[in-house]
Amino acid sequence: MTCTTSDDKSCETPRRHGALWVLSLMVVIFVLLSYFSFIDERGQVVPDQISYKSFSADEGKRIFQAYNCMGCHTIVGNGAYFAPDLTEQYKYTGPAWLEAFLPAAASWPTAAAVRVHLATPEQLALAGVSSFEEYLEKYPGAAERIDRRAGKISHMPNLAFREGEVAKLIAFMKYSSAMNKEGWPPEVRTGSLENRLALAYGPAVLPMAAAVTSVAATTNTTNLVALGERLTAEYGCNACHATDTSRRIGPGWGDLFNSMVELADGSTVKADKTYLTEAILNPNTQLVAGYPAGLMPAYNNLIKPDELEAMVAYLASLSNVGNEL
Amino acid sequence: MKITYESQRLSLRFFLLMLILFAGQVAYGMLLAVQQVDPTILAGTLSFNVVRASHLSLGILWIICGFIGATVFVAPLLSKREIASQWLVKLLFYALIILAIWNISTQTLAMQGIAGWWKGQPWLQNGLEYLEGGRVFGIGVLVGFLIFAFVVLRTFPNFRKWNEIHWGLGLGISALAVVWVFGLFYISRIDLQEYFRWYVVHYWVEGVWEVIHISLVGVLIVIMFKASVRAVGFAVFWGISFVWLSGLIGNAHHYFWIGTPEFWQFWGSFFSALEPLPLIFCFWHIYLDAHVNKRPLDNAPAFYFLLGSTILELVGAGILGFTMTFALTNAWSHGTWITAGHGHLALFGTFGMLGIGAAYWAVAAIRNVPDFDQRIGRFGFWLLFIGMLGMAMSFAFGGVAHSFVARVLGLEWTSGDIGPAMSTFKLILPIFGFVFTVGALVIVYDLLTLGTHKAQPFEVPSATGWRKAMTGFEAGTWLLFMCFFGLVITFGLLAFNLPIVREEGDPTLPYLLSAVGYTGLFAATIAFVARFTASLDSRLRTTYPEIATPDLAVET
Repeated sequence: MTCTTSDDKSCETPRRHGALWVLSLMVVIFVLLSYFSFIDERGQVVPDQISYKSFSADEGKRIFQAYNCMGCHTIVGNGAYFAPDLTEQYKYTGPAWLEAFLPAAASWPTAAAVRVHLATPEQLALAGVSSFEEYLEKYPGAAERIDRRAGKISHMPNLAFREGEVAKLIAFMKYSSAMNKEGWPPEVRTGSLENRLALAYGPAVLPMAAAVTSVAATTNTTNLVALGERLTAEYGCNACHATDTSRRIGPGWGDLFNSMVELADGSTVKADKTYLTEAILNPNTQLVAGYPAGLMPAYNNLIKPDELEAMVAYLASLSNVGNEL
Repeated sequence: MKITYESQRLSLRFFLLMLILFAGQVAYGMLLAVQQVDPTILAGTLSFNVVRASHLSLGILWIICGFIGATVFVAPLLSKREIASQWLVKLLFYALIILAIWNISTQTLAMQGIAGWWKGQPWLQNGLEYLEGGRVFGIGVLVGFLIFAFVVLRTFPNFRKWNEIHWGLGLGISALAVVWVFGLFYISRIDLQEYFRWYVVHYWVEGVWEVIHISLVGVLIVIMFKASVRAVGFAVFWGISFVWLSGLIGNAHHYFWIGTPEFWQFWGSFFSALEPLPLIFCFWHIYLDAHVNKRPLDNAPAFYFLLGSTILELVGAGILGFTMTFALTNAWSHGTWITAGHGHLALFGTFGMLGIGAAYWAVAAIRNVPDFDQRIGRFGFWLLFIGMLGMAMSFAFGGVAHSFVARVLGLEWTSGDIGPAMSTFKLILPIFGFVFTVGALVIVYDLLTLGTHKAQPFEVPSATGWRKAMTGFEAGTWLLFMCFFGLVITFGLLAFNLPIVREEGDPTLPYLLSAVGYTGLFAATIAFVARFTASLDSRLRTTYPEIATPDLAVET
């Protein structure tokens, strides 16, 4: 301090030079550390090594930035703190749950909505499982969410994803899951989900949702329309379809039955029982104009014929155009 | 309190733009706080991510406006001549307006997933936190920084005649542009992208803004208290040196969990624990300079904001930064509201308050209204100060609950399981946000109408009790108090590692320690600033002869 008031700079100048030397040394240290952080020998996963379906993790990262996902979520802990961290979502919930959730993010997918993405051997192979039950075991996040939230609204807005964007995002999340993050987020050591919920809410008030009543228990009804309505809830159809004429992700059901529908190839078709049955089982064969292919999953391995009949009857009941089956 | 050079008037338009952008940022912030309480509000119309992107971008833009305004105001004093290339300064002003409007409009494209990909780069919006603007915006900002640096360096005297303040400001303003470049490339790897993203965010704040901040505070201290340029130059040199010595490797505290190797945890924990040192140094210096000749305050609001800037830099950036800088505490604070508390206090406190303080001095001098009514400005200061501390406290408490439920209990449904634990603090946030908003409106109103209300005569309080002159020992004691509570918070975060918390799920210890720590820290901060300003108020008791401002361009 004495150097500041005295006219003699002799002790101040060497000190200042010393500070600049130490600073240079630190630059060298920092550059070296940075070099060793990104050399191949480190074995860190890079986007080129990860793909999902035919899409690379890099394509996914571009979609991730385009929707500014970081503005609500976090990735490797950075971003906003408004929505869950996305880093380990793939590991936690698996590809089929994400496939079911992302196109209609405003509501939580039901078991059937996830199951439809595990209908083919290829889909099962993508998730690395042989059955839906095994999937729930391998991806505890999917099981927990189906148990506790299926059919409820989420707070994520529906995003109008273009064709392939959902799969690209999954490729990106697969990559972030696979990265070595040096132990972050910290491993959870507080036991089972029941135990952790009890710690959060107290043992008395567990908000375990009895999400949607099992349909199997109520199929003895003779009322086809009521059964159809319950089935659409069970399969999670309402996530994408409104019961009036408004467009959610897919077309609204109001006044749909027996109306004339314009298809992507320019032709027009009557939305009768035959058409709607086919549209549920194999949605991509007669695509409606204005909707991308692959948006709606095919339900042909999942929905039984009598269930299908009830669901079409329910759709007919929502139409004033003419509801004769 | 009047200007020496005609071109100092050019700063006025930047301060005006600063106030408009500040008001906009506050409005967006208020909307965010409300959306935190009810996530359905405007979801899909003006979604949270778009609002947040605008909130962050505007925050950066108005702080930059404040820097430009303050620099344009002091550069003629540092150079003993008018600003060079004044048409460029005017161009810069219109460019800033266009950039701000462009940025706000392009952010909304995120809701449609449009980034404007062309030649591998997102041209319209970038979708990365703090770097939300697309390449069009980024390149526009780069050109703006280059113009700014060009004008300042052309105005300054030959660099052989520079003193420490010239060096600080010259280096800082040139580095603004250099560091910005690291954010202008698309990077595919998450780890490498985050590595370079923090070059911009950390090195900007820690390596560049802080340098500009130290230099500008130095100039303003000379102008306000007629402090010796030599003593201030000493503080500027060592302040900047310590900032760089600790902050250069201290950046490593961002490299703990982004996919970079474990060795960063050692380097980051060690060096960034040193980061509060330059801030304590600056704090100490503002005490010394404010007490150098026991003069009364000519412009109380200007000094209040300068003091607020230094104190919140110490508390928000220094102490709160310290609490979460160790790998063992950062593992729990990372990715939670705890970091938002630190961010708000540090960014608004340090840089925002500096801009407002500089505006108070500049506007009063340019309008030549030495007898303006200072009560409104002081009132506005307290609203902003308490509003921001209250918001930081909501973030901090909410963050500790967030961390417990999300990291210890592993529940991750943000609005479902984590929401209830944070709900009280999500409600308190907009309440303090409202206090802050009122403060912002008061300040905007006061600065726009400065000089139209004349000061009312009032009785000067006697310098006894709470108002008696503050000694260095007392200032040091307050500082120790703040550091002590900072340590309590640090222990609260460390407690997350204990088996009783981590395995048995008992949050008592971290909750208790953070309750004591944060409450104590913020109470001590408010009390200290109240005490400091009260001790200055009583200086009005005697009249002092006018002293000329020392020659800022002097070679040291």
